[in-house]
Amino acid sequence: MAAISDDIFFAGITEINRGLKQKQFSNVELIRDFTQRMEQLGPRYNALALLLPQRAIKAAKDVDGDIKRERFRSPLQGVPFGAKDLLSVEKEPTAWGARPYTGQVFDYPATVIKKLDKAAAILTSKLAMVELAGGPTYRYASASVTGPGLNPWDRTRWSGGSSSGSGIAVAAGLVTFALGSETSGSILTPSAFCGVTGLRPTYGLVSRYGAMALSWTLDKIGPMCRSAEDCAIVLQAIAGSDANDPGSAGKSFYNAPQYTRDINTIRVGFAPVDFDDWAEPAARPDFAKALEVIRSMGVQVTEAKLPDFPYGALVSTIIAAEASSVFEPLIASGKVDQLADPKQIAGLKAGLEMPAKDYLKAMRIRTLVQQALRELLAGVDILIAPTRPGPAPKITQPLDRPVSDRPPPKDRGLSALIQAGNLAGLPALSLPCGFADGMPIAIQLAGRPFSENVLLKIGREFQTRTDFHKRRPPA
Amino acid sequence: MTRRELILVAPGALLAQTPQQTQPPLPKNADEELAAARETQRRNAEQLAKVDLPMATEPAVHFKA
Repeated sequence: MAAISDDIFFAGITEINRGLKQKQFSNVELIRDFTQRMEQLGPRYNALALLLPQRAIKAAKDVDGDIKRERFRSPLQGVPFGAKDLLSVEKEPTAWGARPYTGQVFDYPATVIKKLDKAAAILTSKLAMVELAGGPTYRYASASVTGPGLNPWDRTRWSGGSSSGSGIAVAAGLVTFALGSETSGSILTPSAFCGVTGLRPTYGLVSRYGAMALSWTLDKIGPMCRSAEDCAIVLQAIAGSDANDPGSAGKSFYNAPQYTRDINTIRVGFAPVDFDDWAEPAARPDFAKALEVIRSMGVQVTEAKLPDFPYGALVSTIIAAEASSVFEPLIASGKVDQLADPKQIAGLKAGLEMPAKDYLKAMRIRTLVQQALRELLAGVDILIAPTRPGPAPKITQPLDRPVSDRPPPKDRGLSALIQAGNLAGLPALSLPCGFADGMPIAIQLAGRPFSENVLLKIGREFQTRTDFHKRRPPA
Repeated sequence: MTRRELILVAPGALLAQTPQQTQPPLPKNADEELAAARETQRRNAEQLAKVDLPMATEPAVHFKA
């Protein structure tokens, strides 16, 4: 067979699957090349937690056998992927990005890993992450046992977190897709900073069984891919009811763009202040163009803003209370002090002291947030805003310190959409939409619970009209 | 990174990012870190206390749309 072109490292799921079926290359050849690339480049970006070459080659041999017998199992058959190291893979180390858990081994796979195995996708690696998925909070990009996630577009900048390795690995062509998790921003942020397409599913759509818990009422698992189309393919494979996950919504996802509404009936809400003022000056031109692309699709565009709630305090309180409860044994043992980030250590300890009334108050206000967002989303189908106001920060920048004196706008717009969307369990899709200072920027679409097909329809259409999702970082 | 970005980066960073507040210096040791974390929680609780909450409102425990 002919040598595999480097282009394959940046190909989408359908293209790779087609190449296998057409026998342009064998799955063993493909997986060997991908694992070698991950071995060479993964550490360069601090993206790799654990390489799984033997497991991957064994699975690839099975796929080659199946293809030889024309047993086509799924669109993901033979496609290499990586999983955030918060997902258990049976009999392999799962460190959750944290020194105290190095060497931890589970004897069962996470449900999502099991589902992707069944679809014959090939797990090549476990990917680096911010320790304990960020815990209650953290100050430095270096808050990980594998070091700071270095952005493939500029290694002096952060990849975003907490699904750092997942964002890096897709952007750098080390895997075709990756699994990430989000409690509040951990899929959308690295997707935006690394220039990949990330989907945060509706709470409960994807099982979290076998995943590290950070916040039971906020955690979600989702795909990080090259395109909205690829996100749809992966979501169909990993979504579905799971009796092992108490938060499971008992719903599946069917990738059915043909059955979604006409695009000109879809109502999109946005806040001008997000694009004109909240956005960093360097990012404004491409954000404005992205908004024009959305308008050009023929959707109905209207202005919208989030109802007034202290979203940051709500998310912070809920995560601190739940994470500190989850990690109480770690805190009690004193091993919490082995974590890399001093702010996370202190946040976990302080969280254990939180009065029950504060957590309950936050959860009761959250009920009002859900009601208010339901009302907001009765008037529009999708909310659109910059995923992040600007490009990735430098890795040395403390994440809790400003570098600009520019006062924030008085109008909140949709600037807290990540927190609000997570509090209400809403799905969101981050789409690369341009560059600022040579770094990727992105817009996010958020919609009603279980409206992933609508978000993906807009995402696909956006990506037929733009090519930012196809751009590659410097070699 | 600007204040605007910081509001969205890390949940615990949210509270420090209001324009009226001056930034306290970074904590120098574990004791100061813990004191800062407690202060963050206290300020969070203060913000939540300002929300008008009807007595009948129950905690959000159902997330199934």
